[in-house]
Amino acid sequence: MKGTQLGEFEEIVLLTIAALYDDAYSVAVLEEIGRRMERPMSIGAIHRTMQRLEEKGLVKSRFGEATTERGGRRKRLFTVTPAGERSLFEARTLRNDLWAAIPKGAFNTSFS
Amino acid sequence: MKPVNYPQPPRWAERLLEWLAADHLLEEVQGDLQELFEKRLQQHSVRKARLFYVLDLLRLIHPRLWRKKTSAYPPLNPIDMLQHYLLLSYRNFTRFKSSFFINLIGLSTGLACTLLIYLWVRDELLMDTFYEKDEQLYQVLENRESAEGLVTFWTTSGPTATSLTEDMPEVQYAATLLGGRDRYVEATFSVGEKNIKAKGGYASKDYFRVFSHQFLSGNASTVLADKNAIVLSETLAKNLFGTTENVVGKSVEVDHDKVFQVSGVYKDAPTHSSQQLDFILSFEKFVEENDWAYAWGNTAPFTYLLLKPGTDIGAFNRKIAGYVKTKTEGQITHRTMFLKRFSENYLYGKYENGVLVGGRIEYVKLFSIIALFILVIACINFMNLSTAKASRRLKEVGVRKTIGANRLSLVYQYMGESLLMAFLAMLASLSIVMLFLPTFNKITGKELSLSLDPTLITSVLILTVFTGVVAGSYPALYLSGFHPIAMLKGKLPTSMGELWIRKGLVVFQFSLSIILIVAVLVVYKQIEFVQNQHLGYEKENLIYINKEGKLYDKSTQETFIEEVKKLPGIVNASSMGHSLTGHNGGTYGIRWDGKDPNDKTEFESVSVNYGTIETMGVDIQEGRSFSREYGADSAKIIFNEAAIKFMNMKDPIGKVINLYGNDMQIIGVAKDFHFESLHEKVKPLFFRLAPRNTRFIIARASAGKEKEAIEGLQKLYATYNPGFTFEYKFLDQNFQALYEAEQRVASLSKYFAGLAILISCLGLFGLTAFTAERRRKEIGIRKVLGSSQWNIIYLLSREFTKMVLVSILIALPLSYLLLTYWLDNFAFKIDLKAWYFITAGVAALLITWLTVGTQAINAARINPIHTLRSE
Repeated sequence: MKGTQLGEFEEIVLLTIAALYDDAYSVAVLEEIGRRMERPMSIGAIHRTMQRLEEKGLVKSRFGEATTERGGRRKRLFTVTPAGERSLFEARTLRNDLWAAIPKGAFNTSFS
Repeated sequence: MKPVNYPQPPRWAERLLEWLAADHLLEEVQGDLQELFEKRLQQHSVRKARLFYVLDLLRLIHPRLWRKKTSAYPPLNPIDMLQHYLLLSYRNFTRFKSSFFINLIGLSTGLACTLLIYLWVRDELLMDTFYEKDEQLYQVLENRESAEGLVTFWTTSGPTATSLTEDMPEVQYAATLLGGRDRYVEATFSVGEKNIKAKGGYASKDYFRVFSHQFLSGNASTVLADKNAIVLSETLAKNLFGTTENVVGKSVEVDHDKVFQVSGVYKDAPTHSSQQLDFILSFEKFVEENDWAYAWGNTAPFTYLLLKPGTDIGAFNRKIAGYVKTKTEGQITHRTMFLKRFSENYLYGKYENGVLVGGRIEYVKLFSIIALFILVIACINFMNLSTAKASRRLKEVGVRKTIGANRLSLVYQYMGESLLMAFLAMLASLSIVMLFLPTFNKITGKELSLSLDPTLITSVLILTVFTGVVAGSYPALYLSGFHPIAMLKGKLPTSMGELWIRKGLVVFQFSLSIILIVAVLVVYKQIEFVQNQHLGYEKENLIYINKEGKLYDKSTQETFIEEVKKLPGIVNASSMGHSLTGHNGGTYGIRWDGKDPNDKTEFESVSVNYGTIETMGVDIQEGRSFSREYGADSAKIIFNEAAIKFMNMKDPIGKVINLYGNDMQIIGVAKDFHFESLHEKVKPLFFRLAPRNTRFIIARASAGKEKEAIEGLQKLYATYNPGFTFEYKFLDQNFQALYEAEQRVASLSKYFAGLAILISCLGLFGLTAFTAERRRKEIGIRKVLGSSQWNIIYLLSREFTKMVLVSILIALPLSYLLLTYWLDNFAFKIDLKAWYFITAGVAALLITWLTVGTQAINAARINPIHTLRSE
């Protein structure tokens, strides 16, 4: 099923939601990713990704309190579900395994 | 609170977003864009912030933005739900068997009725339209002036076709036909030992260019080029030769006299053709021997034209209006030609004073309206019954809604149930149609079939779906809208409007039924009256034989008549030249003292033999009949009373008039008798002694010995005319054919009246059930408080009785007007008696009481405990 496979951008959004923890809503996620990746990004792309994640059951959402910001409209707050956590771990394990498999001396340049 | 001049995003973009976004996303998306806008305001100009707002909005556009929220519950499996609905429908049908069957019967009879009428109407409308060049095909008609105003004739003069082709560039082809319609030519055809009698006509050479027939052999444009050619229909060719192959060139003997060569065989005309010709002989050949048929002074054949495409008919009619006058150099001035589309002749064939006033189309319209009414009544019933049922299902709907069924699924359920019902009814009605089609064909005199052509299938499907949706709309849309709490409490809101509509529908149904009852009564009485009307001669037991073969020889004819008179069972015999069932031929070539020289009124001309008047049983009022005792009577003439009155002659006996230039002495006056249908008044007529011109041998059988008489005639005929088939007719049979249309209408309306009453009763039945259901508690309480069963029955019937009384009040004057109008068609008619109307009214009331009564008794007998114990 397509639900188990995480796309790159999906993974980033999911991680950002996890990082923002209690205040993960669309604009916050947009700003966070924008700050970290320095890449122009539309609110539409974030929206659609978060909808997709929710359909896959990796995140769940609830409405926040109404505030005077946003013209009085409520935010939709997202949290990572256990399924989301598992797929993040799986992705991370896969990467770690792959990193570990790279023989020493395969890379010439060092970034850190 | 925001300051008034606080910058806002562009209004139109906000609107667009509101319109685009799905409901469950709107708040979030709006908020996000607003937040971003507010944040940007701190860094950028208002303009830029607004621009970014629009750009963000544009990048939001994606199907996900307007896609509806997927349900929190797993989606309903459509197949499971369908199964569920079917099961529920089935349970409902079995649980309320009586209302199920009432519904089914009502709807299926209604649909069957509509279907039958649809088949009939379609066939009527298709009549004669199958010719290839139907749009260019016209018939020449003539208006002729007479003392009674303009009379429209179908007959024309023989030279019309050829002259019009020569003189008028608009005419592509023209054809003359002698025979066809109600005046087929009958002849006996022989090949070897085989003798077959067939109906056909004489047609001019271009006939098959005008009327496109499919030819099995021979070339349509040349088959009639040879004067000795005969063209056969497939059936006749098969009957004569046993095959249609290699028939061309073979000889056929006609009337054991002349021999013709087959030049072609054409496929039989379809059933919806008014021209059923088995053979075509050359009109040119006929003219060689009968020059009268090719003179402008005489009219007998029909003329058909194939006009060039795009011809302006109005202009053409103006051009040919004075054509007969021009052609006869001013001799004949009273005939005006005009054209009529050939295919329209069948439905629009009734002219009054030269103006088209309708024809069969009136029946087509009448029955279409009846069909529509019956269908509407059936649908209304279905709705009424569904309403009645709905009160039983209120709780079901309430429970469904409480458990979470949304309105749409309820609409599906009820629509589905109603559609299922409609399809069941359609299946039932199809079987009813198949069952009754033979009977229906007999009544209508058609050969209709339930063939599965695409138009029929689509119409049937549309009709079914339409009925299902209309009938199901009430419960589906109305019931599903209620609040579940109200429904579970059993409170169904009713509006006064709804009540009025329902009452109005009942009144409408019953008015229609009552009108139909009265109509059937009156039509029957009128037909009975017509058939028992004394016609002025004895129509019973009068046998007609077409003269043919050797009987054309005068002395053979006379000896044959003498022999016939001696046969057992025969009272009298003679010969005559008139069929007595309509206009046969007339003349205005008759002169008397004081005649207006411009008068062109035709006198019906009847050629008779000695003894004809006696055999017919026509009374002689004054003077005497033709008789051998007085020597040669050929210069003598007998008029009917109408003619004497028309000529304004006193003491006519012995006076001399002039006929075709010969002086004739009046020897007698015959009592008026009806030689046309009773639609017509008796017109002037004369009898002329001309045994050679007679066309029929007539014989009167004594009552009860008809069979013997026929057998004797047949034997005698065979000795006189070997090789000819003996065919006879009783005059009263022909006479009945005159009123065929009325009889068909009468028997059809009888059935439709029955059906309308049945369906209306079903409706009433349903409504009573509905009322009784609604008032269960009330009835229970009334009974507890001491009301008797009769009180309850009275309570329930009162309302319906009122409605039916109202319909009687509406229907009786309407039916009076309608029937007076119909009876005006007849010159001789019955008076509308009060009891026709009283009978219809009383019948309607009785039927109502019977229907309502059974229901009311049921409702009144329920033990109040059952109705009162639950709330």
